[in-house]
Amino acid sequence: MRFLLLNHAQNAYQSLRSSRVRSFLTMLGVTIGIASITAILALSSGASKIISDQISSVGGNIAVIRPGTTTDPIASITQSGLNRDYAASTLTEADITYITNITNVRSIAPLMVLSGTIKADSVAPINSPIVASTPSLADISNLQLREGQFLDNGINQNVVVVGSDLSVNVFGTESSIGRILSIHNQSFTVIGILKKLNDPMNYNSVDFDNTAIINFASGKKLNNNVAQIQQINVKTKPDTDLKATISDISKALVNSHAGEHDFSILTGEQIAKPTSQLFYAIAGGSTAIAAVSLIVGGIGIMNIMLVTVAERTREIGIRKALGASNSDISWQFLIESLAISLGGGISGYICGYILAFGISHFLTFDPAFSWEIVAIALTISVVMGTLFGLYPAMRAARKDPIESLYQV
Amino acid sequence: MADVTIPPVIHLRGLEKRFGIGDAEHSAIDHINLTIKKGEFVAIMGPSGCGKTTLLNILGLLDRSFDGDYELDGQSVDTISKRKQARIRSQQIGFVFQNFNLVPRLSVIENVALPLIYKGIIRTKRLKIASEILRNFHLNEREYYMPHQLSGGQTQRVAIARALVNEPSIILADEPTGNLDSRASHIIMEELSDLHKRGNTIIMVTHNPRLTTYASRVITMLDGRIDTDTKSHIAPQKNRRHKKPVRKTKRNKK
Ligand SMILES: Nc1ncnc2c1ncn2[C@@H]1O[C@H](COP(=O)(O)OP(=O)(O)OP(=O)(O)O)[C@@H](O)[C@H]1O
Ligand SMILES: [Mg+2]
Repeated sequence: MRFLLLNHAQNAYQSLRSSRVRSFLTMLGVTIGIASITAILALSSGASKIISDQISSVGGNIAVIRPGTTTDPIASITQSGLNRDYAASTLTEADITYITNITNVRSIAPLMVLSGTIKADSVAPINSPIVASTPSLADISNLQLREGQFLDNGINQNVVVVGSDLSVNVFGTESSIGRILSIHNQSFTVIGILKKLNDPMNYNSVDFDNTAIINFASGKKLNNNVAQIQQINVKTKPDTDLKATISDISKALVNSHAGEHDFSILTGEQIAKPTSQLFYAIAGGSTAIAAVSLIVGGIGIMNIMLVTVAERTREIGIRKALGASNSDISWQFLIESLAISLGGGISGYICGYILAFGISHFLTFDPAFSWEIVAIALTISVVMGTLFGLYPAMRAARKDPIESLYQV
Repeated sequence: MADVTIPPVIHLRGLEKRFGIGDAEHSAIDHINLTIKKGEFVAIMGPSGCGKTTLLNILGLLDRSFDGDYELDGQSVDTISKRKQARIRSQQIGFVFQNFNLVPRLSVIENVALPLIYKGIIRTKRLKIASEILRNFHLNEREYYMPHQLSGGQTQRVAIARALVNEPSIILADEPTGNLDSRASHIIMEELSDLHKRGNTIIMVTHNPRLTTYASRVITMLDGRIDTDTKSHIAPQKNRRHKKPVRKTKRNKK
């Protein structure tokens, strides 16, 4: 059997080579499909890697609480925009107090992301986020200052810490300490400028380079005295059991929410799931391309294999006459279709990475390599080759030897 | 006694093969009874269209739709599974087709090596065996030719080489020398009679009466029936040996 498989592989190679253009065109469908999938996966694992690196760089003992129960990435494509601006958050200020009182929690930073006009000398770009949070955000999210200081519980007036790009955008300079920034027509004094981070991809889903960070209380005031909390970042004490702490938090929150489990607590990998909309737009688009081209590619394989089987009817008759069994014949054609789909898969994997590196020029992170992506690309191609090659192979095997031999 | 315990290689009882339906129906083989014992060299003659090829196709387990009884080595072929039949074709039967039936996209040597694939022999060994047998047929210089680059006679010799490469015990040859001159024909016939002497069963269709001298038994067919049958088991080739200008072909086994 092993010999036969090897032989069929040699035979498939020979046969594909003898009709190069045809084989190439057939592979193309699979190549495009696998390339899109590889690109999505390479980019998404690149994004996840960045975020998990961030989390481990701050000690790894981070949990993120978000309103709502959904962790489904597809749902978050459609909901993230809504959540942020309009829908009432299920997280409350009281929750913050409860969580702060849990034993192993070291620090906690609620995140209230607002939108609104930021201006000084000039107006900041429309989407520059306004983040209202607490001083511990710097520690939890590893924010470092270029100049000045971060928010401080001692300073209660309207102060703001600005991202370096925002500073340039509104003041025309990175050094803007002490200057006045107008947010929602309220005046805020700049007390600190963040170091350029250059990663809009992070678990806060906030591009800190373009952000104005204000005190939580000020943020609430801007938001008609409603605390609209999109996310609570919790950092636990080092060397404590993160899982146990999470279950404590969960209990406390369910209690304070009158028994309702209307929030989700994410850790490690879960946080690392990319949340950027750009990312989901790309991923959604390429998944659609991938699915369509895989189906079209599969049909192409089936089509070409049916043609091949018809062309080789006589050969099938000869082979059977010389002792080939039905399964020998079906393996011969199945392996040929597998060779097409695997060839397409391998070239798709390569093209996928070329594509991913191309796209990553417009993003702030690089695609990542992992054996899982290789495995997925290979599995999909093998499944496709089998799925779409099976019917032609069966048809070949079922041919009657004598009728095949006398077919002209 | 021996006849009772060792069944004949081929035993046909009331074999019938009809083509077409309704008015167009006709019998290509019309009630044939035939017994062929192991080690016989049967020459089948008869006018064109009398059913010789049809008979060989049935004997070679290629055509399974017939009426009547066909026992191969004492077992009715109806009761043999398809897989087993494929194995029999692979290991016991060598088939030379009237129209050669080389695979056009494979080279000469690959065509000859084809039956060995299904015996599970690895490629290098296959090519070695095929190359050896091609040398016997003076085709070693054409190993990597494609079938369409061969002359009719060369094609025929390749087809015969392919049928013999498996060392089958039953050889079914449909006009194996149709395209060959008498010298080349005799090379082939020597090869066949050599195999015959080693105890293999050979059934050969031919239109050339002179070649029947190699056979131990001559059957003539007419309109799907057996017309005459010499049933002689005395090998006549001993005294009818042609003066051979050809050098003795040697099949070095192993
Ligand atoms: N597939 C088929 N459909 C219908 N009739 C067929 C078919 N194959 C063979 N026949 C008929 O069966 C008869 C016997 O054919 P066969 O090929 O066995 O003749 P033959 O003895 O081999 O002739 P030749 O010496 O010319 O090769 C012929 O009349 C032929 O027309
Ligand atoms: Mg014939």
